[in-house]
Amino acid sequence: MSVVQNDVVKSEKIEPWKINFKPMILGLLAITAIMLTARWYQQWAAWDYGLDASDPLFDVYWMKVFWAQLIIEPILFFVFVGYLWLTRDTHLNQLSKREELNKMMFWISMLVVYAFSFYFAGSFYAEQDASWHQTVVRDTSFTPSHIFLFYMCMPVFIIIGFSLFFYAITRLPFFAEKISVPLLLVVCGPFMLLPTVGYNEWGHAFWLMEEYFTVPLHWGFVFFGWSIIALGGLLVQILGYMSSDLLPKVLNEKGELTS
Amino acid sequence: MTRLYIKVVMMLVLFSVAGLALAHGERNQEPFLRMKTLHWYDIKWSIENDSTVQVNEEVTMSGKVHFFSRWPEQINMPDTVFLANATPGPVFVRVGTWLNDVPMIQSTGVEVGRVYDFKVVLKARIPGRHHVHPMFNVESAGGLVGPGIWMNIAGDANDFLYGVETRTGIVIEDLETYGVENVVKWHAFWAILAVLWLAWWVRRPLLINRFLWVKDNNWSALITRTDMMVGGILLVFIITVLIVANQITEKTYPRTVPLQGGKVEVQYVPNPEEGLVEVKNHTSEYYLPGRTITIDATITNNTGKVIQIGEFMSSNLRFVNKKLPIAMAGVDEGYPAELVPNKGLILSDDSPIQPGESRRLRMEATDVAWETERLSSLLNDPDSSYGALIFFFDEEGNRYTSEIYGQILPTFFDK
Amino acid sequence: MSLTAEEAKLLKAISVPNSDAAKIVRNFDWIVVVVLLFAVTAAFHIHFMLTAGDWDFWVDWKDRMYWVTLTPMILVIIPAALSYPLMHKLGLPIAGTVCGLCLVIGEWVSRISGFHLWAYFPYSLVWPAIVLPGLMLMDLFYMLFRNVFLASVFGGGAVAMAFAPANWPILAPYHVPVVHIEQLVNVADVIGYSFTRTATPEYLRFIERGTLRTFGGESTLVSTFFSAFVCMILFYMWWRIGQFLSNLGTIPNQLKTFVGLEADKDEAK
Repeated sequence: MSVVQNDVVKSEKIEPWKINFKPMILGLLAITAIMLTARWYQQWAAWDYGLDASDPLFDVYWMKVFWAQLIIEPILFFVFVGYLWLTRDTHLNQLSKREELNKMMFWISMLVVYAFSFYFAGSFYAEQDASWHQTVVRDTSFTPSHIFLFYMCMPVFIIIGFSLFFYAITRLPFFAEKISVPLLLVVCGPFMLLPTVGYNEWGHAFWLMEEYFTVPLHWGFVFFGWSIIALGGLLVQILGYMSSDLLPKVLNEKGELTS
Repeated sequence: MTRLYIKVVMMLVLFSVAGLALAHGERNQEPFLRMKTLHWYDIKWSIENDSTVQVNEEVTMSGKVHFFSRWPEQINMPDTVFLANATPGPVFVRVGTWLNDVPMIQSTGVEVGRVYDFKVVLKARIPGRHHVHPMFNVESAGGLVGPGIWMNIAGDANDFLYGVETRTGIVIEDLETYGVENVVKWHAFWAILAVLWLAWWVRRPLLINRFLWVKDNNWSALITRTDMMVGGILLVFIITVLIVANQITEKTYPRTVPLQGGKVEVQYVPNPEEGLVEVKNHTSEYYLPGRTITIDATITNNTGKVIQIGEFMSSNLRFVNKKLPIAMAGVDEGYPAELVPNKGLILSDDSPIQPGESRRLRMEATDVAWETERLSSLLNDPDSSYGALIFFFDEEGNRYTSEIYGQILPTFFDK
Repeated sequence: MSLTAEEAKLLKAISVPNSDAAKIVRNFDWIVVVVLLFAVTAAFHIHFMLTAGDWDFWVDWKDRMYWVTLTPMILVIIPAALSYPLMHKLGLPIAGTVCGLCLVIGEWVSRISGFHLWAYFPYSLVWPAIVLPGLMLMDLFYMLFRNVFLASVFGGGAVAMAFAPANWPILAPYHVPVVHIEQLVNVADVIGYSFTRTATPEYLRFIERGTLRTFGGESTLVSTFFSAFVCMILFYMWWRIGQFLSNLGTIPNQLKTFVGLEADKDEAK
């Protein structure tokens, strides 16, 4: 997750504008690969081994996936977030504006990856959950659709979201100077979807045997889903900063880069 | 040597359990939901267990279902129930369902303590090996599943065809695709319109320019006269399309009816034999190491005939008294073996019960199924009690059913 | 409010065709567009599926009462909130269109992948409702009036007013009467009954079970008008919530000294 830092401070030479899309594309490909593999796995193992949680094969084909997720994901979280914190820029006050622009654009391009992973949790696997639970008799909290929706998709976007947050406060002066509340919401709102799973499972255990999707029990997910509206607020903040501060400092009236 | 022996036994148990991967998730339902709600019996399938049907072929499940009198308090009374089939999704199409010969497209209500005849006709759709059960959805309790058998569907899913003829004379050849082309066409039409509208804006510098213009209050640059004109035309166009499309639709489909949401009434058929034999539970124990339920009960014969105990049935498990041929005759060949425990029902006193006699005896139902079906988890229920049906037979072969229910006491180890 | 000298300079700079400045802001545009498309799909879809989803999933839930009343109310919420940053801050009358398009795409992908390919349901049972005309009208009214009150009344109202008419051309074929096993039902009922939803039985359908006083039997019309009324209020409410969420500001960063920035108390500039 590093930006090509060929724009050396004090150099008279001005690097032409170039944005590095490679990390974004790699991120998108990685998410695509993870999500499609999971989808393929469901198609392959759900009907044969996923209908009955008391079946020993359920343990083999499903619970193992679940335990693997539970081990791998926290590790990845601390690796990503820890790396970003430990390798933080300790002289952010000296960051050149041009480099800040490069980093800002890189960071926004990584928001694409975050939004893409959120798509799988909020749309693709979420609605698929309805198709599965209205088709079968639910007999465990860890069903073939939950194992991927709650314990893969959600942690994945949480890891990406927190990584982006830490990138922002350690490398981008605008976000390090003061914490942006919309950014907090964009990261923490979706994060709260995971704790909401607790309420969901509690309700399904004690109240609700039947499956329809619009039950009040599920509205916690809706509430925290709304926090993504704060993306609009984040956009407004970034636009304000870029147009009044960052861009005027690196561009002249002819539209040329000045540093 | 002993360790080897234990290992072999463990392996055998594991294999027997692994071979029983039949359920639809009902095994993890709380035992009270399975023991004190519905009791299914006399179940017949039109095909044999594990036989094969072709795509488009029909199969029938029928039998009796008894709604337990001591209905669990945790769930609603069965005032709203729906007769269904537990299959892995729509691998079979539900052609028809009947309860006491009343068609069951809609939901209905039933009375507890009564027996109903059901019939479910299915049509094979998706090839594969599927486990198929009759099922009742009971409001607040969810799906309560009856005994099931394996059915194999052979052929090609693409050959599946299921049609109906409407009351207005339209012949629908295939319900799976009916109207879909029209749906896709309309979705595409609106999506293209939306994309064009978005492209209209995205083609121009989008964010920073416009942000500055807004700050500058330069709305004539933000939304030009052309934008207003195009927007106005689009607005009129959308409204016109809606009006015209609806007029055409009204002409094409002049006769429609709303979704039908009424409830159907089903009369129960009186069963004079039921309850003629009184069964009173004294103590019931679940002996964990031996997987045995022992029931100490008093049976009072009010039938006027000499009777014998034929079967103890709960949660689809049939403990049959093997010493009674007429009871054994009730187990059809090919009936799912895992639901008819080998040892059957052992009685402390096998002699016939005379008319008017009241006899206290012990019934023993032993099988690994208590574990594999997870019924032993009733010891984890906040209300550790059981419910079951007992079948009695007189010498002429008449059958009498009685309910039994009571507390269940655990024995965790040998004393 | 007018532009500062810096901003005016920037506006000039990015207006030079093919300049670095134009390229930078265009790159920025496209990245943000992609972020928005994915994020809106996720947020709007999860919001919609968990509040009006069942009616949208199944053809035999699409009734004249709950479906027609509820769906537009649910539909207007997020587009109204996003209208604030998009229209008020950027002059882009596209919030409804973006949300509608993203929702429809998200739904179709899920219906194909989840409902059809995984759970074997036929498309005739699981097609999503048409939501775009109403949401587009919402944008158009907002653009033409450029006033949030009028946009609430006409735009918010249009979401509901257009909903039933937009869907009737695709729903009507499914409401043709059929007699199936001696019972009068419509085609949608038959499809819902035939293709088993094991855990979603008939009685679970929240549908019109009988009307008390719709006089001419105009259930759809009554539902539409009521829904339109609520949508007008919801549009305004959620536009305000959008405003709130767009102007949240910042909080102090306690960790800033770790990255070489001065602590807040020293900032007396």
